[in-house]
Amino acid sequence: MTPELAQRLVAGLKDAGIDFFTYLPESRLSDMLPLIRDDPSFTMVRTCHEGTAVTLACGAALVGKRPVVYCEATGFVLAMYNLQSMAMQFGLPVLFLISYTGSPGDKANSLSFSLWGRLLEAQIKTLGLQYRVLEDGHDLETRVSDMAWAAQFSKLPTCLLFTGEFTAFPGMLKRDRKPNE
Amino acid sequence: MERIDCLKLLAPMITDELVVIGIAGVNWEWRYLSKHEGNMTIGTLGHTLAVGTGMAMSLPHRRVIVLESDGSSLADLPCLTTIGTYRPDNLKVFVFDNELYSGSRISDPTVTAFNTDLEKMASGAGIPTTATVRDVESFGVQARAALSEPGVRYVVAKVGEGAAARKLPRPREDYLETKYRFIRYIERTEGKTIFPEQR
Repeated sequence: MTPELAQRLVAGLKDAGIDFFTYLPESRLSDMLPLIRDDPSFTMVRTCHEGTAVTLACGAALVGKRPVVYCEATGFVLAMYNLQSMAMQFGLPVLFLISYTGSPGDKANSLSFSLWGRLLEAQIKTLGLQYRVLEDGHDLETRVSDMAWAAQFSKLPTCLLFTGEFTAFPGMLKRDRKPNE
Repeated sequence: MERIDCLKLLAPMITDELVVIGIAGVNWEWRYLSKHEGNMTIGTLGHTLAVGTGMAMSLPHRRVIVLESDGSSLADLPCLTTIGTYRPDNLKVFVFDNELYSGSRISDPTVTAFNTDLEKMASGAGIPTTATVRDVESFGVQARAALSEPGVRYVVAKVGEGAAARKLPRPREDYLETKYRFIRYIERTEGKTIFPEQR
């Protein structure tokens, strides 16, 4: 993700009133982490398991914070139990920022990710959660804010899936090689 | 030592603390003993510790008490590392470790019945103040310290099976009722609106 997109994404979160940010880092969207860390309006909590991140966010929501969970597609799968038995069972608004690894637009796609990219949207649909796929920075701040408010109004988790230009980063594997090259 | 004797000692000490309660026996016993509006019962394995930690980090001026069991603690061991990293001053954790899964009907043992030591795991995760207690008097010392001294605290209370809890009346309050009662208490005591207005 470019520094400009990272800044706009964080600005969108602030505009939406997000003030609790819990995460396990990954490669595509991690440029936003220093911005969140340096901004005192966010309570930032690093975890070593996405399920823990979801439940921490639920605790924060119960006392009036507006929480975000940032993870990649694999982490969303790992957090499924916490998402269902805590966030959905109790009806708590949690906005997920998901790096859509393995999606067709993922600039750093590989065999390691493609399985998760094929399954993610179907899994979210099965849960009945609202989501949007973002491929570029068009109207980014509004789209972040809309989904944060959708979580508040539905009292349920909602998801933003980031692919396309959000997934390019320096040093990633180049895809311009031809087969057998 | 029986869990309910520890809870009987703790319940009258609670004033404006937020109390997050785990699953099964500790849930039934605490709800039987305490009608505190700041009780938030989770009732699902593996969430109590992280819910309490999220609350403690969100409301640092408010003491948060977590009443957890060994089985549920073992289901979210990663949370120990989050607590050890941030060490929220206002978080006080009591794990009632009966070394078995009461919900299994056959009292199948948890790993704490063998070689696993939850207090050592908490200490190794970076939680500076930990203890294991085996009698009610020692529990009382830890409870009073938790409610009067600053600093994150993690106490493992080794207790009997607590099978008598199964005979207590089960709560009629469901998940959503619990949530709204708790949220209204937070709104009133913190002077804030948690959910937006509805049309």
